[in-house]
Amino acid sequence: MAFDLKYEAVRRIPNPMVKINPMKNGTGKIVNLQDRVDKLNKNAAWKKTIKTWVEAGKTVEVDRIPKWILEELGLLNIAEDVQRELDEKHCANRIAPVGVFDPALMQPALCIKTSKGKYISINSQHTVSTIAGLIDAGLVPGVTDWRKFKFPFYYVETDSLAFARRAFGIFNGKGSKKQSQYMQLRNAVYIVRIDKETSDPDEVAKERKVSIAEKHECFPVELNSDFIKYPGTFTNISTFEGLTDDEIDMSCAWHNKYFHYEGVHVSLFFIYRDFVRKFKPAKCKVTPQLEEELAALIQNLFGSLSQFAESCKKVWRLYTDAKFGYEDDWNDDIYAEALLQLYKKFGGAEKIPKAILDTHDDLVEFFDDDILNLADNNVLSVSNN
Amino acid sequence: MYYLYLITSLRGRAGFGITSDYKERNQQYASHSGDIVKFSYIYGGLSTHAKTVESTIKRQYIDNIWMVDDWKTEWLKDGISMSDLKSYVDDLVNNRHYRIQVVAEDYDFTQGMLDNNQ
Repeated sequence: MAFDLKYEAVRRIPNPMVKINPMKNGTGKIVNLQDRVDKLNKNAAWKKTIKTWVEAGKTVEVDRIPKWILEELGLLNIAEDVQRELDEKHCANRIAPVGVFDPALMQPALCIKTSKGKYISINSQHTVSTIAGLIDAGLVPGVTDWRKFKFPFYYVETDSLAFARRAFGIFNGKGSKKQSQYMQLRNAVYIVRIDKETSDPDEVAKERKVSIAEKHECFPVELNSDFIKYPGTFTNISTFEGLTDDEIDMSCAWHNKYFHYEGVHVSLFFIYRDFVRKFKPAKCKVTPQLEEELAALIQNLFGSLSQFAESCKKVWRLYTDAKFGYEDDWNDDIYAEALLQLYKKFGGAEKIPKAILDTHDDLVEFFDDDILNLADNNVLSVSNN
Repeated sequence: MYYLYLITSLRGRAGFGITSDYKERNQQYASHSGDIVKFSYIYGGLSTHAKTVESTIKRQYIDNIWMVDDWKTEWLKDGISMSDLKSYVDDLVNNRHYRIQVVAEDYDFTQGMLDNNQ
């Protein structure tokens, strides 16, 4: 049986992301706080929250807002059953390395102040331990005793250790809005592109990866942002960052050549990761013919890579249930395995590594009948016109 | 066979959805709304292609989706007509070679299953 699915070209229209890509240049826009207040006041969730305050007759207790003071580090105490054990390696390898440490990045000591005037740390013990240690090592000119070194304390007056415990949880995750993977990537890219700062090889590598994707009109964007409606956008930043330059170049080139009208589904990255890493040891090549035929297969059988991926998830559930008697956890290797098994079932002739084809050797039989029947009948049952 | 339907609400709002059983789905709309509701158009074809078209509407036609607070409905906002939606879907199907086609117009469940697409 010969492979006779054909890829049909889709008319390309200019992608707006080329011009509005937020990674390309910062907006340079600086807004005042009024802008943010205006946004809150227009937001439905915010309005509901305000309504509950009014209905409960509650107002903000201004006295509870933390106060700040420059205070001697020697006055700070650490309650070990509130904070974690000191992680010395975190201080040595993450905060204090000579090329990393920047006093300007230190956060104030967050603490409670008891009615007896005792300061008890509720966060930032690693920061204050590091600066005290650096003073102790004689590395802070003009300061010989870390105990007398005045450091910003940000404190709440209370005797409640329960408050301290709760506050520690909030400052360390629960209740705080973490920086997204996208924001971290964007910061790295801006540091290289806008600030022209190239001293951090990790930031340079991230910018290079984004540039490779952009060359093929593929764009990382924030999850749930307004940009995801545009073609070529993707949100799975951690998977993208885990790819090599070659893997990004090949996957994004394929997307832009064949599916330029769609968003990038993350399965694309896993598929090309496995192509690059598993074809070479098997002395196989990802040939232009293979890439075109795989595009034809996706287009004809699934319409889109996202629908292929959804089908793969179902196939894996059925496969593991039949083989093991239970539904096993998802495995990202399945995308490439299922795609190339389908390729062979439809008569694909290009050489494929056995390591991909044979790991789960009859996965393909678990695709829906309306897909498999197309291979058996070698015909597409519904005409497009 | 799988179906993408375009629906017109009783007050004229255009909407969309997918189903493997258009008769049962239409009957559910009637049950919830207390009246006969029309599927203005039903497209039939490969399940994967019908699902792709639906997800494309949700993702790329998002500016025309009726939002209730942060809830993205499967209905279009005021001012977007059934004609607009039909035209958008037809363009998708034709330009992107999706293998679905119109199999019924102005359908409601009282017509039963249609002979030509069972």
